[in-house]
Amino acid sequence: MKALARPKHKSSAGTVSKESSPRDKYTSGKNRTYSDKFDQPGLKLDNSKLFGKQLPHDSAVGHVTGEALFVDDITPAKNELIVDFISSPVAHGKIKSLNSMELAQQDGIAGVFTHADIPGENLYGPVVQDEPILAEETVQYVGQPIAIIAGESHEAIRKAKKKIRLNIKELKPVFTIDEAIAAKQYIGEKRTFKQGDFEKAWRESEHILKGTFVCNGQEQFYLESQAALARPGEHGDIHIHSSTQNPSEIQTVVAEALGIGFHQVVCVCKRMGGGFGGKETQAAIPAVMAALVASRTGRPARVAYTKDDDMRSTGKRHPYKIHYKAAFTSTGKITGVRFDIYSNGGAAADLSSSVLERTLFHSDNAYYIPNLIFNGVICKTNFPPNTAFRGFGGPQGMANIENVIQEIAIYLQKDALEIRRLNCYAHRGRNITPYGQVVKNHILPEIIDQLAETSRYSKRMKQVEEFNRKSQTHLRGLALTPMKFGISFTTTFLNQGNALVNVYRDGTVQVSTGGTEMGQGLNTKIRQLVADEFAISYQDVKLMITSTEKNNNTPPTAASASTDLNGIAAVNACQKIRSKLCAVASKYFATQKGGLKPSVKQICFEDNSVFDQRNQKNKLSFRKLVQLAFMERVSMGERGFYQTPEIHFNRDTEKGEPFFYYTMGASVSEVLIDRFTGQLNLERSDLLIDIGESINPGIDRGQIIGGFIQGVGWVTNEELRYSDKGELLSFSPTTYKIPNIQDLPEIFNVDTITNPHHQINIKRSKAVGEPPLMLCLSVWAAVKHALSCVQKDLCPQLNLPATAEEILCRLTELKHQANDNAAKHDAGKESEVALVSQNELTSKNKQAA
Amino acid sequence: MRNYLLIYVNGRRHQISGERCFQSLSDYLRLDLGLVGTKVVCAEGDCGSCTVLVGRLRNGELKFEGFDSCIQYLYQLDCTHVITVEGLKQDNQIHPVQQAMVDAMGSQCGYCTPGFVMSMAAMLETRETLTRLSVQDALTGNLCRCTGYEQIIEAALSLPKFRSASSGLQPASKGFDQKVMVADFNRHALEPVLCEYVQKWNGATNRVRFFVPCTMKEAIKFKQKHKNVTVVAGGTDISVQINKQYIEPKCIMSLTNLNELDFIEVKNRKVKVGASVTWTKLGEFCQQNLSELSEIISLFASRQIRNAGTLAGNIANASPIADSLPFLHVIEAEIELTGNKGKRWVNINRFYHAYKKTEMAPDELITSIRWNIPDRSDILKLYKVSKRKDLDISTFTAGILLKLKHGKIKKARLAYGGVGPIVLRLPETERFLEGKPVTKSVFQHAGRIASDEIFPISDVRASTSYRTQLAENILIKFFHECCDNYHDKKEAA
Repeated sequence: MKALARPKHKSSAGTVSKESSPRDKYTSGKNRTYSDKFDQPGLKLDNSKLFGKQLPHDSAVGHVTGEALFVDDITPAKNELIVDFISSPVAHGKIKSLNSMELAQQDGIAGVFTHADIPGENLYGPVVQDEPILAEETVQYVGQPIAIIAGESHEAIRKAKKKIRLNIKELKPVFTIDEAIAAKQYIGEKRTFKQGDFEKAWRESEHILKGTFVCNGQEQFYLESQAALARPGEHGDIHIHSSTQNPSEIQTVVAEALGIGFHQVVCVCKRMGGGFGGKETQAAIPAVMAALVASRTGRPARVAYTKDDDMRSTGKRHPYKIHYKAAFTSTGKITGVRFDIYSNGGAAADLSSSVLERTLFHSDNAYYIPNLIFNGVICKTNFPPNTAFRGFGGPQGMANIENVIQEIAIYLQKDALEIRRLNCYAHRGRNITPYGQVVKNHILPEIIDQLAETSRYSKRMKQVEEFNRKSQTHLRGLALTPMKFGISFTTTFLNQGNALVNVYRDGTVQVSTGGTEMGQGLNTKIRQLVADEFAISYQDVKLMITSTEKNNNTPPTAASASTDLNGIAAVNACQKIRSKLCAVASKYFATQKGGLKPSVKQICFEDNSVFDQRNQKNKLSFRKLVQLAFMERVSMGERGFYQTPEIHFNRDTEKGEPFFYYTMGASVSEVLIDRFTGQLNLERSDLLIDIGESINPGIDRGQIIGGFIQGVGWVTNEELRYSDKGELLSFSPTTYKIPNIQDLPEIFNVDTITNPHHQINIKRSKAVGEPPLMLCLSVWAAVKHALSCVQKDLCPQLNLPATAEEILCRLTELKHQANDNAAKHDAGKESEVALVSQNELTSKNKQAA
Repeated sequence: MRNYLLIYVNGRRHQISGERCFQSLSDYLRLDLGLVGTKVVCAEGDCGSCTVLVGRLRNGELKFEGFDSCIQYLYQLDCTHVITVEGLKQDNQIHPVQQAMVDAMGSQCGYCTPGFVMSMAAMLETRETLTRLSVQDALTGNLCRCTGYEQIIEAALSLPKFRSASSGLQPASKGFDQKVMVADFNRHALEPVLCEYVQKWNGATNRVRFFVPCTMKEAIKFKQKHKNVTVVAGGTDISVQINKQYIEPKCIMSLTNLNELDFIEVKNRKVKVGASVTWTKLGEFCQQNLSELSEIISLFASRQIRNAGTLAGNIANASPIADSLPFLHVIEAEIELTGNKGKRWVNINRFYHAYKKTEMAPDELITSIRWNIPDRSDILKLYKVSKRKDLDISTFTAGILLKLKHGKIKKARLAYGGVGPIVLRLPETERFLEGKPVTKSVFQHAGRIASDEIFPISDVRASTSYRTQLAENILIKFFHECCDNYHDKKEAA
């Protein structure tokens, strides 16, 4: 934790505040308030030398030298085929014909395969098997794969693709939530969370407000596009190297598609060039493409999507539309809310039901709501099936309630922080979530208070409002938003992990787990944990390629919990080996001169060696011990297993304790807006987060900053725009703008806070993958705050993302409202999907780049 | 005449001829040479994952700059030394920029990392001072989705600590014997290159060729003979079209070895810029002489793009949102066209006829651009509105040039981009402004006239209504930024 609390950087461009912030009280990482006792049964440690160290990423040297290989970097075999696909140009239609025979005859083409060539199951899906790998009679979205084309070279495929004759009868597509509701097109069942009596609270409330919150999707934008390399084996076996967060799922889907046993498929994943949820389920289609070609041709086959194809044909973060009603007192205490939540699921179920569930779990964010109804519905539309993305539905739910809080503050003419603090979960009472879990061992009020103080919130709020009264050219906004994120898969059975640990005769160790490495540092952390278990050096432990051959039936690397699940499983395996080694060691020390009575309890592992505590001078090197054990015919390979204890959830009552614990934090952001262009500048952000005891502070700091900036992209510049035919127009970085290095806050303070109440999980660490993303909501709320300063009596609407266009549109709207005293309403603004009129696109004035 | 390209990669000499010359540098590196450290993500120069160093002969030695290898085709790289991420390691020792990234936890998934490493290595080549701002500028062309960039900046800022190390903080190019290459390039650079091959597919044949001239004379002669030749300088747009729209130019002429056109002249307050001048060179020039343009240059393109792209290419490409055009329109720049019949100068305001249609005849080439430096008392302001501040294609651009006299507007020139098929001058608005006092209400009124003079569309970047609103607002913004004080001063006086 020490290294994480880094000196604050102030950029040379920083102008907002030059003073340093006061810091004390609940100090970050300085006052450890407890002993090093670890209370997880069976996980007692003798040594934790590497725990808490900022060791470089497991693959850092490979990354910087380019020696770290990704799927498409693997040297091709001479007979390898390139795999590409033919996709639907329309959003909804009936396939009449495709000249696949003719295409297959073109120079350099080895084969064209349609759904009819899939010997097994063409439908797949993690929850419901409703998604075709290759379209059958109908196509459901632009970019949907219809046929696979395999060729000797990219050039041959490119040329052949110019000869595609695809005849599709177009059907009426459904794009927006409103259209889907009108057409009664839903995925799964409506879900309802209830607590108290909302209707009564609404009727009896001093104040009420209602409205609609609209939020767009987000592209994962992993740098390495979807890729897979399949090699045919003997007897119809398939070996597949996939860029996937979920090797077990790839194994399953490939086996089912090819109609072979799961045991005939090995799926491996060395690393991904980013995943962020986008490779949790959606790596399956490319994997099957490669596997099918390998199986049909007997040749190795490789698919690597182009960025454009990847963005056009894969799912994204779900767009949402939420109708909200809030009842509250004149002090700002929320007495009841009702959220009617609609997500745009795209054309198939994918993970939408789980994503929606997590939205329901997080629609309270950090606030106690005594009376509530949360209704959740997934709409089926003609877009690629929307899928997992860091936060997994949480961000949308939390954004919605932060919007409500901001509006209550505007309505009551109060500082939003006051409303937030007033409604924040308490320690005793006022701490029951909408799903019945008590928020325990948390420090939400303390986080908010400390951050408000260190960021000098109140003083800056005065300065900001003063600035807004004076400036004719710019607007400033300031907001503090808390974040509480539940850790565990809400589908309880997924909360399991297994690991394989092999100790070799030279004392080195190989570890394999079901977790995949996508940059988050999972392998680094596990390497640290395992090295500590044997008290050996970091260099003597190696994390192996993730493979279904070694770890079976594994959950996806997702839900932030992979270090928890796989780390504990690995430690569990180490402990099994250690106890056997202890027996060998105690016997050995008994046979030594001045022999001791054998006692495994006295054996200690320290600094690459082993000794009996009663005679610490007589040391046996770990390597020697392992050699002894081998001679004694002791097995030194073990499987470890872990299942998260205590968690449960009942979907009939919608009550339970789905989360093992919460990761929580808060952020304050200040923005500067150009009143004439709507352009936004993020001037300062302060983040404070409770991630427990950090296994690797350098990695965790990277997760916090990276997650936050990714979130900032979501709430500001990242906008998916489609034609009114449903074609994604922003399909590459030229038009889809993720944050670049110039988009960092000018002043950026990142800090962690010690939570003395958190005493569970591996070495009291906490999950860190997804939570920091949601710290970005302070940026969006700051924009809303800035807009609320324009006309004190008007509550501005603001969709998410707050692009320059959205901001200027709202500013203009406020100006008109103030002038005419009548609401100007731009109907196009109320949709969660940005559709650009085709007529205008094809007009004579076409002005392509 | 040579029929092969001469390119060194990480110190190794390669003579490339025939079909292989027609691939992008990144494909050549990854597929032909197996140097897979160079990653390709977007294939359009927007992510920087494929960044490599390219050393070109300048004043007798090799000058290295960072380039996006996905949009550099081999025919643009004759007589260059390419250094990839694999070339940084010397004697099995990783380079300080690599070590700095490791130490600062600058990589997460690792896919963008080689690109960042190369962009940092490019900073060392010019021995640039490492400040937070210079590092951000140098890395603007590299996207990372994992780190949030902070640790990458820290890595770059930590580089000075390696100065004291035994290996020191040497530019990567110093690890290679440049003398041999320089001599080799000197022998080859005066010889034009013509490569061709016959493309065969499904029984059809196609002759594909490219030409790399060394002199203007050769270039004009080739263009005369091959009217439909695709002329490539930086290639930052045409290469994207090859990668993305799969256009297949049959005949290409690369101007990269044409040193005659690599000049910036200033005479009698007249600036003349040769057609081979890159944005990097022009940007450096503008820093002292034209800060408004310099700022736009630093915003609209990354270093990798600035090192390749040219002003002439920006003009010839004829995009209505080309970032230099509002400036050139209000400054009344003239374009030198050279063809069969010699040279002629065309005012840029008469150069564009319609969307992507220009005054240029098939045999003509843009050879230089000239303009008069504005008077000190003139107010020149350029605006670029885009979704993301840096490295983004504009939603809307504007150039405003005002001459004031006795508190009145004597002359007004306005040009907007992104609001029609070509960049538009706004004659109505200009007429309205001329003779008017410098007050907010005048500019508010002018804004409304301006928004009626344009025909913006809705597209992937913005809606019609946003562009229309910008067209109006930008004049009020201009008033506040440039005239508000002026007016106050006058009032006070």
